[in-house]
Amino acid sequence: MQLFLFVFPFYCSSSEDIHQLKYMAANRPRGGSFSRNLSASSTGVSHIPGLKHGPNGTMFLSSGIPDLDKILGGGFALGSLVMVMEDPEAPHHMLLLRNFMSQGLVHHQPLIYASPAKDPKGFLGTLPNPMASKDDKSRVHETEQEKGLRIAWQYKKYFGEQNSEQRDGKSEYCSDFDLRKPLERHFFSGQHIDCVSLRYSADLATFRERCSSFLSQVPRNIGNITGGRIAIQSLCSPQCEYSNEEWEMLSFVRSLKSLLRLSNAVAIITFPPSLVSTTFSKRMQHLADTLVSVKAIPDEDKELAKLLTGYQDMVGLLSVHKVARINTQPLLAVELYASSGSCSVSSKTGPTFS
Amino acid sequence: MADWICRTLRDGGLEGEHAPALTINDTISCPLGSFVFDHILSQLSSFICSQKSHSNGIVLVALSRSPLYYEQLLKGKGYDVVSSSFGLLYGPVGLEEQARGEWEHWESPPRSSVTVSLCKNVKDLDELLSSILELGKELSGDGRRRFVVAIDSVSEMLRHTSVSPVAALLSNLRVMVDPKSDKDIFIVCCVLITDEVSSLFWLLHSDLHETRATAALEYMSSMKATIKQMVQPVDGHKANSEEISLMEHYLRRGKLCVHVKRRNGRVRMMFEELHVEKSGIKFTSVSSEDEITAQSLVPKVQFNLQLSEKERNDRAKVVLPFEHQGFLPPGDGRTIQIYDGRKSLNDGKAETEPTSVQKLDSNKGEIIYFRDSDDEMPDSDEDPDDDLDI
Repeated sequence: MQLFLFVFPFYCSSSEDIHQLKYMAANRPRGGSFSRNLSASSTGVSHIPGLKHGPNGTMFLSSGIPDLDKILGGGFALGSLVMVMEDPEAPHHMLLLRNFMSQGLVHHQPLIYASPAKDPKGFLGTLPNPMASKDDKSRVHETEQEKGLRIAWQYKKYFGEQNSEQRDGKSEYCSDFDLRKPLERHFFSGQHIDCVSLRYSADLATFRERCSSFLSQVPRNIGNITGGRIAIQSLCSPQCEYSNEEWEMLSFVRSLKSLLRLSNAVAIITFPPSLVSTTFSKRMQHLADTLVSVKAIPDEDKELAKLLTGYQDMVGLLSVHKVARINTQPLLAVELYASSGSCSVSSKTGPTFS
Repeated sequence: MADWICRTLRDGGLEGEHAPALTINDTISCPLGSFVFDHILSQLSSFICSQKSHSNGIVLVALSRSPLYYEQLLKGKGYDVVSSSFGLLYGPVGLEEQARGEWEHWESPPRSSVTVSLCKNVKDLDELLSSILELGKELSGDGRRRFVVAIDSVSEMLRHTSVSPVAALLSNLRVMVDPKSDKDIFIVCCVLITDEVSSLFWLLHSDLHETRATAALEYMSSMKATIKQMVQPVDGHKANSEEISLMEHYLRRGKLCVHVKRRNGRVRMMFEELHVEKSGIKFTSVSSEDEITAQSLVPKVQFNLQLSEKERNDRAKVVLPFEHQGFLPPGDGRTIQIYDGRKSLNDGKAETEPTSVQKLDSNKGEIIYFRDSDDEMPDSDEDPDDDLDI
């Protein structure tokens, strides 16, 4: 019988570290000096394909983008709230949502999706399909990379370790998605998928009820754990009736967060910060456990093309402002190289970060 | 750029996509937005009249200028828009002029099949939406025809309602084009895009509204054309008449900045100069390249990060310490030779350090060391790195 700590601090940490990310995080989670003894009692969880153990007794589910999982130290922690700050000039937040939702469907995790469109079900048709097999491709790429590098110290023996660790279980936890192909029908059948339109809701009360009933189905202290996913797109979109009532939206997000803490689900909310007041935007940012923002890049900008490699393939920039800290005070020691993170989406693969 | 915009609006959106929407933005410092609006309207009318586009008609929601003005504008350009391709929806402005009796000839134009409809309540945007759709349906003939919507000023709409209903209206018009729809309605006047709307554009005076309202409308649009003031040259003392003529000269000129949200998520920015004359409006490409520098997301580096050819060769020659450590294949009988930095090498290794201050002419590196005194403990063999287990 596993005993989970139920008392979570109910405030938002005010210190934010802005990590401009460049490279992959180390695979080994480095938490505090105490780590949970993952012995025989927890082997049941490690066999669930969609979930993975994280430091400090948390569990992660995948965001659908392997590079983003590495940057965040494993994925999204169960019970956390992820906020994505949109750029009104680019639809990159849709990419994040699509991968998140597809990953949930691939792992048979229940999903609820809300958007300001009149018919949100149409969005499900744009979800990408996992790629067929990419193991050979990634292996070849890595050995080629090694030949070009001249290593001075003893790094080679560490590299060898990382490669083997990465490939085990990677295809199970997080899939690579092919954006050209829509998600196959068999992933939709028998799934608990709920689509909600927020266009005509005067306040968010009914949606709050639906979230509450959804989250009660994935509670925390029951042995059979699956993850649950909530995806809310463009919460403060101007065409919705409630968009003028900022306190309503804030109280909705806050109650959602409290419900999330008691469940095994992850919620992603995207909102456009330029369309709301700065105070509201700041409050929303503080409410988030993991805060990410996307930004468009100008087209045909020669200066950027000179400074950034792979500019031709890039579509936007993603910045991670805050990473979830659950059950711990110090920031998770995710190893990052400081630079700007760019997201490139090639026509074949899903988003990759460099 | 203006031509590019007109062509984009003419072509409409692809199937499964939202229809392209353009916001024309101006401010009091350069109030040339209505000229740009008229220009785009007349361009689209010409495309439609000459059957160059898929659209069949234009529905114009005239809220700030009377329908008479538009008829005269388009007639002046020589377009026979009254032949079933022009729908007009007029609001309170039209009513005032009607009351003044200026509309008599408009109401019964002899040859026209222009569909004219009165929007009685500008506050009810649902009614406006349905009237636009009806008008559009009337305009469309048989077969697949779509329409463009133009709104003469969203600022007028925002006088009567708040941002949310206007944004809802615009997004309703922009919803994904239904490829199977048989009816294509063109509404050019106002900004409205519905299932059958191929594109839409609207005029907005951005300094009349809060930034949130303007931001919300720009969020709804896929292209944004902002008219900015030309930078006036600061002159010294000049005679009054000269100043006035200069001011007049600059009042008619402006800079058109277009932001386009492309399909791949990038933003393209384009610039042009515009000049309003009696004959119309003229666009010229911008002369100075300074305007085109986009906001740089990555800071400029002041130092040279590139290597010259010589530096590259030198770098390739450097033997890094411990480079070959521990990497011989198992079957190899040779022992590993570790270069630990103490032995001198035959090739000019010391010379190849690009950052080294001591550049010696000879190939071998030399360290010249004079002992301070002979009383010092001999430590010639003591390398502080010796206790590292390499």
